[in-house]
Amino acid sequence: MSKHHGTEPVSSDLLDAFTEIADRFPERPAIVHRGHAIAYRRLRESANAFAAGLGPNPGAVAVQATHTPETVVALLGILMAGGVYCPVDPQFPTERQLAMVAGAGCRTMAGSDHGLTARLGLLPVPDDRAPGGRGPRTVDPDDPAYLLFTSGSTGQPKPVVTPRRAISATVASLRELFELTPEERVLQFASLNWDTCFEEILPTLTTGAALVLDAEAHSGSFPRFLRLVERERITVLDLPTAFWHELVLHLAEDSLALPDCVRLLVIGGEAASPARLADWSALPTGRIRLVNTYGCTETTLITHAVDLSGPRAGALGLAWDGSTRAPIGRALPHVVERISEDGELLIGGPALALGYRGLPEATAARFAPVDGERCFRTGDRVSRRPDGVLDHRGRLDHEIKVRGIRVDPAEVEAHIAGHPEVGAVAVAGTTLAGRCALVAYVVPRTPQTVGALDREVLSYLRGRVPGHLVPSRITVVPELVHTASGKVDRAGSHQRHAPRGQVTEQVKGDPR
Amino acid sequence: MSVDTTASAAPGGAPAGLGARTGSAADVDGVVAIFRRVLETPDVAADADFFLLGGDSLIATRVLSAIARGYGVELAFEDFVLAPTPEGLAELIAAAR
Repeated sequence: MSKHHGTEPVSSDLLDAFTEIADRFPERPAIVHRGHAIAYRRLRESANAFAAGLGPNPGAVAVQATHTPETVVALLGILMAGGVYCPVDPQFPTERQLAMVAGAGCRTMAGSDHGLTARLGLLPVPDDRAPGGRGPRTVDPDDPAYLLFTSGSTGQPKPVVTPRRAISATVASLRELFELTPEERVLQFASLNWDTCFEEILPTLTTGAALVLDAEAHSGSFPRFLRLVERERITVLDLPTAFWHELVLHLAEDSLALPDCVRLLVIGGEAASPARLADWSALPTGRIRLVNTYGCTETTLITHAVDLSGPRAGALGLAWDGSTRAPIGRALPHVVERISEDGELLIGGPALALGYRGLPEATAARFAPVDGERCFRTGDRVSRRPDGVLDHRGRLDHEIKVRGIRVDPAEVEAHIAGHPEVGAVAVAGTTLAGRCALVAYVVPRTPQTVGALDREVLSYLRGRVPGHLVPSRITVVPELVHTASGKVDRAGSHQRHAPRGQVTEQVKGDPR
Repeated sequence: MSVDTTASAAPGGAPAGLGARTGSAADVDGVVAIFRRVLETPDVAADADFFLLGGDSLIATRVLSAIARGYGVELAFEDFVLAPTPEGLAELIAAAR
C-alpha cells in the first residue's frame, strides 16, 4: 500500500471521485467476479468505452440489470456520457418492461439479450468505435443520474428521477457511515434493479475498495452464502432486513457465527424484528457493526442510520430483549430533516429526487415547499428521541412493504380489477409465515364464475406484474366490507374473510 | 430494497436433473412436514406447489436450510424453482445423496 489510506477526501461529484480513485489505485481490484479481479484502470477504460459507444447526452438508457460486471460498467458509462441509468429486470413480465421503458422515455438498451431489446422496441447500445474514448464530460449537478420506479396507485409504476447532486451527496455520507477503506471487500447482494445496489457499488468504487460479485450470494442456500463470505473475505454486507431475518434464523438454529472477516452489516427495507435482534445479540456478534438504515427512493438510498449492535452501538446495543423495537436512525450529515405537526417525517436538502417523470400532480403532492425549503413527504410518522434518533410510528397512507419494496395496495387492486371475471377486489398487508405479505379478496363479477378464479387471477397477475406485486394468497369471497362512506374497507375485508387463526394485525407499512 | 434470490445460475452444487431417481416416501413425507412448518398450513399434498401455497423466494430459504440440516444436501433456489413440490424436492435430495 502507498501512503494513501483512502481516507483522503475525494471530489464531491461522484464520477470525479471515481476517476480520482481510479488514478490513485489503478492496479487495485475494483470488481471481483467469481474470483476474477478487474482492476480500477480497466474498469475505468471499459466505462469510458461504453460512454463513447453511447455518444453524448444519450438520455434514459435501459439496462438489462444482472449481477455482472457488465451492468456496473453500463452504470458508470451511462453516467460518464451524461445519460440516465434505467434498470429493467430481464425477469419481469414483458408488459411491465414495456410500461417501464415508456415511462422512462428510453430509446436504447444495454445488455446481452438482443431479443429482449427488440421486443421492447429499443435500439442496442453501439459498440465503441473510438478506442481510448474521451474522459468524462462535465455534467450539471441538476442533471438526472438514474430513474427507478415506485408503486403507483393507478397501476402504472411511478418513475422517480434522481439527480447527480443527490447521489453524489448521499454516497459521500455513506463512505463516512461505513468507514470504508481501500482494503475493504464489499459484497454486491442487492438486485441491480433497485437503488440499494448503489449503496454497495458507489461508496466502494469511490474509495478504492473491491466490489465482490458472485452467483453463490443469490443461491438461496445459507451454507453456500456463508462459505462465499468466508472465501471472498467479505468485510461489508448490506442486506435487506427481510433477508437478514432469515440469515439470523439460520445462524441461531445452528448456533453459528458470521465468518470473522465481516466487520459491518447494514440492514434496511423494513422494521428489524425485535425477536431477530434478540437472536442476533445472543450470537457471538459483538465485534460486528449492525447498522439499521432508513430512506426512500425519492430521498436517495439512505437518509437515516443508527448502530443497533456492535462496537459503535453504546447503550442501544444492550436493549434487545425480544420486545424492544429498533429505531430507524438519525439524519446523515447531508440530510435536512423536519417533522410536521402530525408527526410526518419530511426530508429536504441535496438528496431529493427531481420528481416523478411526466406526473406533475403526483410530484406536487409529495414534493412541496415547507418554510421556503423543498421537502419530500415520506408518509412515515416518526418521533424523535433526545439524542436525535427517530422511532417509526407507522404510515400515514396505505403503503405496505413486501420483501423490502414499497407497495401501494391500490396498484395491486388496479391490476386485479383488470381481470374480466373480477367484480371487486381489496388488497391488504398481513403477516404470513413471519413475514409481510399481500393478501387479496376477490368478488366474482357473476356468481357462476367462482370456479378457479383464485388460480386464474394468480396466473393473470404473474403474466403482468413483478413478483412483489403478486399476493401470497388470493381468496374468492361473496362480498367486501365497506366503510360508512361506501369505500372498500381493506382491513375490515381482511378481518372478515381471513382464515381463522390468520387474522393477525394488519401490517402498516413498516419503514424502509 | 428487494430480496433477489432469482439470480443467474450458480455453478456446482446439486445436480438439477429430474427423475434420475425417485425420492423415497419417507423423504416426501419429510419435505411435506418442512412445507407445513414453513408455510404455517396443515394442507400440504405431496405434489403441492410451494409458490401456489403462498411461498416466495424469501421463505424458500427456510426450506433449503431445513433440507440442508435434515438431509445434508445443499440445494439452491434455482433447483427449488424447477421442482417446488415435496415430490420434486425429494427426488433432488435422492439424486444428490
